Amino acid sequence: MKRLYKNAQIASADSPKLPSADVLVEGDRIIGVAASISDASDAEVIDCTGRILLPALFDIHVHAREPGQEQKENIASCAEAAINGGVTGFIMMPNTTPAIDNAGVVRTVLESARRARIGSSIYTAGAITKGRKGEELAGIAAMKNAGAVLLTDDGFPVDNPQVLRRAMEYARDHDLPLASHCEVKELSGKGSMHEGSVSYSLGLPGIPSISEEICIARDIRLAEFTGTHLNIQHVSTARGMDTIWRAKQRGIRVTCEIAPHHLLFNHEDIGDFDTHYKMNPPLRTKEDNAALLEGLIAGKFDVIATDHAPHTPFEKNQDFASAPFGITGLETALVSLYDRFIAKGIFGWDIIVKHYSAQPRSLFKLPTVPVQEGGVAEFIVFNPNRTTTFTREFMKSKSLNTPFLDKQLQGQIERVIYRGEELLAR
Amino acid sequence: MTPRKDLLDIASLSNEEIEFVLANAAPFKDLFRRSVKKVPPLRGRTVLTLFYEPSTRTRSSFEVAASRLSADVTHFDVEFSSVVKGESILDTVETLEAMQLDYIVVRHKQAGIPNLIARNTAASVINAGDGWHAHPTQALLDAFTAREVLEDLRGRRALIVGDIQHSRVARSTSLIFRRLGMEVAYLAPGSLMPRQIPDEITTFGNWQDAFDWKPDIVYLLRVQSERLDEPFFPSATEYHNNFGLTDARLKVLNDRKLWLMHPGPVNRGVEITDAGMNYERSLINQQVENGIAVRMSVLYWLRPGAAPVA
Repeated sequence: MKRLYKNAQIASADSPKLPSADVLVEGDRIIGVAASISDASDAEVIDCTGRILLPALFDIHVHAREPGQEQKENIASCAEAAINGGVTGFIMMPNTTPAIDNAGVVRTVLESARRARIGSSIYTAGAITKGRKGEELAGIAAMKNAGAVLLTDDGFPVDNPQVLRRAMEYARDHDLPLASHCEVKELSGKGSMHEGSVSYSLGLPGIPSISEEICIARDIRLAEFTGTHLNIQHVSTARGMDTIWRAKQRGIRVTCEIAPHHLLFNHEDIGDFDTHYKMNPPLRTKEDNAALLEGLIAGKFDVIATDHAPHTPFEKNQDFASAPFGITGLETALVSLYDRFIAKGIFGWDIIVKHYSAQPRSLFKLPTVPVQEGGVAEFIVFNPNRTTTFTREFMKSKSLNTPFLDKQLQGQIERVIYRGEELLAR
Repeated sequence: MTPRKDLLDIASLSNEEIEFVLANAAPFKDLFRRSVKKVPPLRGRTVLTLFYEPSTRTRSSFEVAASRLSADVTHFDVEFSSVVKGESILDTVETLEAMQLDYIVVRHKQAGIPNLIARNTAASVINAGDGWHAHPTQALLDAFTAREVLEDLRGRRALIVGDIQHSRVARSTSLIFRRLGMEVAYLAPGSLMPRQIPDEITTFGNWQDAFDWKPDIVYLLRVQSERLDEPFFPSATEYHNNFGLTDARLKVLNDRKLWLMHPGPVNRGVEITDAGMNYERSLINQQVENGIAVRMSVLYWLRPGAAPVA
């Protein structure tokens, strides 16, 4: 059975140009990409006129909440949410209950993941320290052997620099990247939002930018010292980004993530204590939004990653200080970035393909999925002329904690193809 | 003027609403000179005070205000309720909703709790202080009191002294003073001065500079005793010496005939001395009396069941 995606505009990581082409798929492969394919009379024809065809996305920062927090999400619902957002692979964070901090839990979550429709593209991180307590090293080598692809205590920094140094040395020797949630806990204190003009007027304790920036500087210095590949998670401040950029220019093995919400929103969006804008690191300022966007376009970020963090309505419907940090992102990322940036001509499709499909895979030595003859058929058909309304019914995640709930945005993911199979067709 | 359901902060009030509340407080205050102080506007209405933080003064002030308007007043005793057993705020609100109350007066240590409750009840919610966020009835009574002595506040200056960082009074009172045309300055140790305050507010780090600015009102904030354990300042004595109203500074107030305000309760020997408490231009007791009149005016003004203002 062949499928011919007719007259699509093909997005790639190398250029904002969108050449028109027909894409012929057979089995799990793309067997032809050409300006016009006419000798495929046995193929089902899918008219893609006016649609963008782009490589499917890969998210390196996802909280699937399994095991232990299945009221928020589980791997199955998380995988369906990912597909709904055009994401066909992701890396799960280990801040579960219990934490993913030993080979046994790594095997358990990977086994559970295999049952999902994109099961063989779901990966897991393992914790750096036992119970993510920042004290004793977790069983790093055993976790790697069981399939863990990344080390992180995400949600917490490793406070003790000696512990982090040892972990980095271990990670380096086992060829595992180590990802840092950068925060000096004492500086963040009881903060629940960015320390600034809005935290003043709302009377909420603030998390100052320096809390993140100082830890970024420390962790980079340790990575340089140990020669470890360090990935800085969810960078939220302009200064933090600049620190990382300078380190990259000095040849230090450091990479970094930008989350869509840190581009799209800032502390002023919190308004009347809206907990859908509460996350950690917090939403910073308009100036940070602008600088981070400029940085993304200039190539200062390696990857876009959502930090998809589901929480139940009950948990989020509390006062701002008591509500948990985090919002969902898998289902809204592509459409919201299209609506806010691509549709307005602020950046091109290449930024998405490069940072949210190609580089996240390359970072973990996984094959990329460009739309080209002979390649794996793993792509999205995106219709810029239709809209998406993020209703409860639309969402596949168990949780609804997103600022986009019930909002209508421009653009729609029409089809998601994974290894030749259409997982979604609207 | 659109009917308003809740009073959550000063920022969301129009100038017209502020003037309305202040204007109506005056006739209510006149009642206090009569032998019968009670009037009937809230007869048959129920006011519930829901205090998650202890506060004898504010709670009593609301209860007296509600009684003088002939409302039935009930206190929801948080200490003995299931709240301490882990019932969520919204579970509590659902219970209260079933009681069909007309007004809920709420105080909580977390900012934004009154906003959360207001979104989930038809009753009028009055914020009696939430975290560091807002204390709108305190601000209204401060404005009312300042007008009693200075009349027109435009062009006048208020110096607010103390723990600005953790003070809902500083936030709300500075806002209403500015809305009524006053200039406001903060005097605080650097560790208790928020980094990003509105541009219109002047900041000082010592009394000398602050006095040179020529304030008309010196408004002292209470130093929370629990802050003494944190490294905001080295000791109560050091705070008193550097930022308290010492007898020497009191003399400056006296020489220049400046008015003194304080939201109470005071910490004698920390932000104020015994002599300061007896200062002839102290408005502290007047603030307490006016608090009842202003809270009567607020209860009289709000409309339970009105559409919440976005």
